[in-house]
Amino acid sequence: MNNCFGCNTCKSADKPLEAFIASLPLETSHHRVESQRTKCGFGLQGVCCRLCSNGPCRITPDAPRGICGANADTIVTRNFLRAVAAGSGCYIHVVENTALNLKNTARAKGPIKGEKALERLCQLFDISGSSLYEKAEKAADAVISDLYKPEYVQMELVEKLAYKPRFEKWKELGILPGGAKSEVFRGVVKCSTNLNSDPVDMLVDCLRLGISTGLYGLVLTNLLNDVLLGEPELRFAPVGLRVINPDYINIMITGHQHSMFTDLQERLIQPEAVAKAKAVGAKGFKLVGCTCVGQDLQLRGSHYTEIFDGHAGNNYTSEAILATGAIDAVLSEFNCTLPGIEPICEELKIKQICLDSVAKKANAELMEFPFTERAHQGELIIDKIVEAYAARRGALNLDFSQANAEWKPLIDALMGAYKSIHKDVPLNLLPDHGNDNTLTGVSEVSLKAFLGGKWKPLIDLIAAGEIKGLAGVVGCSNLTAGGHDVLSVELTKELIAKDILVLTAGCSSGGIENCGLMTPEAAQMAGPKLRAVCEKLGIPPVLNFGPCLAIGRLEIVASEMAEELGVDLPQLPLVLSAAQWLEEQALADGAYGLALGLPLHLGLPPFITGSKVAVKVLTEDMKQLTGGQLIINSDAKESAELLEKIILEKRSALNI
Amino acid sequence: MKRIMIDDSKCDGCKNCSAACMQAHREPAGSIYDLDMSDPKNETRNHILADGKGGYRPIFCRHCTLPECAMSCMSGALNKEKDTGLVRYDEKKCGACFMCVMNCPYGVLKPDTLTRTKVIKCDFCLEADSEPSCVKNCPKKAIWVQEVQA
Repeated sequence: MNNCFGCNTCKSADKPLEAFIASLPLETSHHRVESQRTKCGFGLQGVCCRLCSNGPCRITPDAPRGICGANADTIVTRNFLRAVAAGSGCYIHVVENTALNLKNTARAKGPIKGEKALERLCQLFDISGSSLYEKAEKAADAVISDLYKPEYVQMELVEKLAYKPRFEKWKELGILPGGAKSEVFRGVVKCSTNLNSDPVDMLVDCLRLGISTGLYGLVLTNLLNDVLLGEPELRFAPVGLRVINPDYINIMITGHQHSMFTDLQERLIQPEAVAKAKAVGAKGFKLVGCTCVGQDLQLRGSHYTEIFDGHAGNNYTSEAILATGAIDAVLSEFNCTLPGIEPICEELKIKQICLDSVAKKANAELMEFPFTERAHQGELIIDKIVEAYAARRGALNLDFSQANAEWKPLIDALMGAYKSIHKDVPLNLLPDHGNDNTLTGVSEVSLKAFLGGKWKPLIDLIAAGEIKGLAGVVGCSNLTAGGHDVLSVELTKELIAKDILVLTAGCSSGGIENCGLMTPEAAQMAGPKLRAVCEKLGIPPVLNFGPCLAIGRLEIVASEMAEELGVDLPQLPLVLSAAQWLEEQALADGAYGLALGLPLHLGLPPFITGSKVAVKVLTEDMKQLTGGQLIINSDAKESAELLEKIILEKRSALNI
Repeated sequence: MKRIMIDDSKCDGCKNCSAACMQAHREPAGSIYDLDMSDPKNETRNHILADGKGGYRPIFCRHCTLPECAMSCMSGALNKEKDTGLVRYDEKKCGACFMCVMNCPYGVLKPDTLTRTKVIKCDFCLEADSEPSCVKNCPKKAIWVQEVQA
């Protein structure tokens, strides 16, 4: 069984995982990198246009314009705006559902776990109310009403959420967004066939989309989830494939909409549900974290210790998690649920259930549940998962020791017959993978509380040079920038060795934590000054803010620190890197980073290099517009040096 | 000697061979991401023609056994190398008479677009480590390298 399936897997920063995947009797995305190695040069540069039936048109020296006349700049920026609009739409979908879940929960007077978080939102939004529920509903409504505004009506919460100097800058540049959903609509329309051909105009739209994506899709989704699900609390937790406990019915969750699981995860620990699990021979249910929704649960894990076993890995670890054989069902609700898990689920008889039709997987049973149907639908899901467990691992668990000796031969014969028919799916666990003491639960609130309720201690450390600066290593994991998590992990190592404190959010976190960089022992890998700080405080040199949504939390940290210093965001010794960006959503995040005025490093170009205008605007002119800048480099050492140089420049401009 | 073989039924006309050729011969060197796709300096040494019936004809230098280009070259800029069997071009010796262009039975040779003072000719990517860039980058494996009689 354990034969190498091709022996042609890509590298991973996580060596035990790399060896595990190479030994699997299944094909994974890691196996397919080789056969997809030949890339289309026109596609890589973004100069392929297939918007109309004259195409695909490609730009070459003999053909500098498409049939319609679009040149490389138009083709590239049209493609880019399409990607940013789609990515923004994804995040706006997430915040919309989250706000609707909060509204419905408030109406039904359901559990509100984060009362302090609600107070904070009310203060931010100037909302008052006589009860918790009234306030929660009003807060949710405030978000929803902004999302649904037309494109020509500016969203009201932008000014309340944005750091003031940034808001003023955006106003000056005329990039304050209208209703977030309408902005997506406008972006998509603008880049349709033979409409806009002005590259700069389209790039400006990307900034508007960046702002609405960042403030609503990122910042607000976190704040709303904090109300519904409870705020993150600092703690140490196990990560990696070790978190999978085969004694339980294991449900792997993937996606980005954590609030969809609230009702179900309570239901799974009720005695009635546990009894159903026990009846088929399991001790109960466990959720195994995967992708960002797993990161988010881990972040708030202190509220969910009974049901949540831990975070196993990122998007490109999901196949390995399934290949352990101990996962009985996949509950998915959004992106980063790889289509490649479908054949694996089929092979290993893993039940796939999809909770949101936008991410309906081909194998999955679609079980959307309207809020009012949650009880009935939840029970149905539990029954289907129990059924899957019984079919996969449900060898009869019956005790015949008290049976009459007369019946013994018959019982033995029947059991023998049963066992010859029913073959359990074999287990292939990797119990030593990952580590037991990754620091999690870091948020703008918990970190500030850890520092004594103010940012001054961190600012002082930066001012004194004990910490050279901050780097957010965020975004996805992909398999091409050196291999699975290779660039993210190597870059992080280089940065901490330069005494730069790294903050992470997204699938990058999943790889970096499985490689052990978020344990206190990782302080040894930091430069001498950062190491001393970490050892004194008992913290790792990489702080994990959780899912990619938590890039919004990093922005809050940065804004609050900037406010305390009385400077604007671009002046902070802070850089961002989405080293292994993967999806369109990451490009919308990136547009937010640029609107915030931050230097943004990408390991791979976002299919824009075919346009001189796009490259110039994003890598150079942006510095004069928002203060931001795009840096593209796929070498960890060089990238770290570039980012360090920027941090040093910002430090000297601040006279520190 | 080695020759690039072609199965035109497999060609999808993606032009990745052309992009790879441009990338292999550009100056200064760089990554495929910063190859200037619209700069006439970056010429491709191969090209793909549409056959008018939905198919494609990839045109690559054959490094012919009896190369018309070399035989018609008066200045000695084009020569068939004995040891490798490749037809090599020496720009310094070229008189830009373009007899080679006129005589190539495949229409693969061409004068350079910008200066019209030299010939754009496949060099089999001899500087590269293993096989020609075009072959390496054909996603359909419509072209490959094969040992043939010189």
